[in-house]
Amino acid sequence: MHRLHVKIFLWFWLGVLVVSGTLVSLTELSHSRAEDDRAWQEKYTPRLDMWARQESGILRREGPAGLERYVGSFEMDPGVTNYIFDADGHEVLGRNPAPPVLRLVQSMADWPAGKPRVDTEERIIAERVIDVRGTPHVVVVDWPSPSVLNRSLFEFLSPDIYAQRPSGASVGRIVAVLAVAGVVCFIMARHIARPIDRLRSAARNIANQQLQTRVDGSVLQRKDELADLGRDFDRMAERIEQLVTAQRHLLADVSHALRSPLARLNVALGLARQRNGPPTSEHLDRIETEAERLNKLIGQLLTMARVDSGVDLERPTMFDLGSVVEEVSCDAEYEARNRQCAVEFSQQGTCVVEGAREMLRGAVENVVRNAVRHTAERTRVEVSLNRRQAVGGARAIIRVRDHGPGVPEEAVDTLFVPFNKVLTDGLSNPERTGLGLAITRRTFEVHGGSASAANSPDGGFVVTLELPAQG
Amino acid sequence: MPTVPAGSPELRVLVVDDDTELCQLLSEYLATEGYAVECVHTGRRGVERALDGDHAIVVLDVMLPDLKGFEVLRRVRAESRQPILMLTARGDEQDRILGLEMGADDYLAKPFNPRELSARIDAILRRSRPDASLDRRAGDRLAVGDVTVDKGARVARRGPDLLDLTTVEFDLLDILLRGAGRVIPRDELVQSVLRREFSPFDRSIDTHVSNLRRKLGPAPDGSERIKGVRGIGYQYALHERPAPHER
Repeated sequence: MHRLHVKIFLWFWLGVLVVSGTLVSLTELSHSRAEDDRAWQEKYTPRLDMWARQESGILRREGPAGLERYVGSFEMDPGVTNYIFDADGHEVLGRNPAPPVLRLVQSMADWPAGKPRVDTEERIIAERVIDVRGTPHVVVVDWPSPSVLNRSLFEFLSPDIYAQRPSGASVGRIVAVLAVAGVVCFIMARHIARPIDRLRSAARNIANQQLQTRVDGSVLQRKDELADLGRDFDRMAERIEQLVTAQRHLLADVSHALRSPLARLNVALGLARQRNGPPTSEHLDRIETEAERLNKLIGQLLTMARVDSGVDLERPTMFDLGSVVEEVSCDAEYEARNRQCAVEFSQQGTCVVEGAREMLRGAVENVVRNAVRHTAERTRVEVSLNRRQAVGGARAIIRVRDHGPGVPEEAVDTLFVPFNKVLTDGLSNPERTGLGLAITRRTFEVHGGSASAANSPDGGFVVTLELPAQG
Repeated sequence: MPTVPAGSPELRVLVVDDDTELCQLLSEYLATEGYAVECVHTGRRGVERALDGDHAIVVLDVMLPDLKGFEVLRRVRAESRQPILMLTARGDEQDRILGLEMGADDYLAKPFNPRELSARIDAILRRSRPDASLDRRAGDRLAVGDVTVDKGARVARRGPDLLDLTTVEFDLLDILLRGAGRVIPRDELVQSVLRREFSPFDRSIDTHVSNLRRKLGPAPDGSERIKGVRGIGYQYALHERPAPHER
């Protein structure tokens, strides 16, 4: 499971939990408020009727002091007060009731006696009572509104009122809700995260030069913005592929187109040499040299185009890379002898590779000949081939080391970029096309390998080539 | 340079290339070198003219509008050992090897230097033209094991079977047999067989050797007849009296 999936899943789940939690507490609260009201009314309404009659009697017989004793003997719920008002609306025991109580008492003048009046909003019950002498009184029970904070207190103090509390069954219900929410959220999260994952892998493939990559069909079948994104992505990929292909074709076409006039130029030059005597030959030599450079450049451009086109990889063969590298080393030895240099080849382990033999041969040759050109006189160029077991299979590693001046540190990275010439003493060498190492890198890349270079800490320059090896 | 006057049948060159202007320039250039040039611009016409046998050598471009150069080569080789020099695209090593494997005598990457072309044509022609004064002498029949080479008749046999060799392969076999048991360096082979300056990264001689190996087949005891000595050259192994060290 990927990070995005986990993230979306957890957020969804948390969201569902918070929303359902809030919903449950809200209904629970409002439900218990109504329940409270009913419970208190049911408890106190009948008592009020009884108290009203008794209290008016006690007040008549024993006066306020007797009433106070009587009221004080009641067992009342906490916060509940029992008031008694005379006909003028004064509290008989001289207490100070809250304004809503006073307002209700004043409006009780016309209320029929013996009938309780309930104000659920203010939580007051009042009843008018007329004693045997015909004196009217109003008896009131005022109970406080329980705040959310107080609820647990009430609950604790009057468990009988809150009879329906969460039991084992409700815990089970909560777990079930969590589980269902979890499954639904997981599926939803995957629904969103998976196409994003597909898009990402497509983007990564394109970055890895697999330009024909397109978004997975399952993304495009959706009916949402992700499908639109997928289609836009495909359009973009198609455009990139077209551009890159067009650029490669252009390179190949230009090189091919240059071939014919250059072939004619060469023959015309030959004719000019045949017809003219020695005086002009110096300039003709120059023309010939330049034509030769153009030939070489076109040859390399065509090689590059061919490597890019991948035609040679359509029918790959299995061959021993060791024999190729050794052949190249032996051939380079001839060239090296002119400068009193030597090429030394060593091998550890056999490296059978799959690919286009001649193409790889040319790529290795570029590097080895480069090394022979740059190594100091009377030094050795060391060419080694090693087999190394790595994650994802065996690798064949070719290392070519010369004992030359090396390359300026800042230029090492650009060595493999086409036409990026390294300046020697501030001058570029006209014999070099600046394509050789670019061809080498491209060749190794299309074979699933890589090419890199570095100055050796103890002098000289090392180029490292890697290829996947068989077995 | 050949001294035989232009128009002599040996020095007629057939150029198969669709670039008419190049053909014109080439005709002019090669005429000065003593060759009579005929140009055709399509593959089909090239096959027809090459098989007529009027020419000493065919210069064949790989890129032709109708038949590919390789197809022309294949059709001509099916019926004739007419010397053929292929013009391949630069930067196309596969074409070079394919051409040599299919029996081309030599190749040249296009664009080429015309002096180089003339030198290669010259080398191929000298090879394929039996030199009466040298080759008709007695002792020019050479036999090593079951392989015999008759340089006068330019015929090679393995046992009673005639070997169908190109001129390069014939010369290669000849030089290897003459030095049988000895390792002949690659540069020596290039110089005496291909008659050109040895260039270390040119693998044409190796392709010719492998073609020759294929046509000769293994020795009666099943081993390879021509052995490669890496970095040095090739050796025709003696089998009746085994060489002191093989490879």
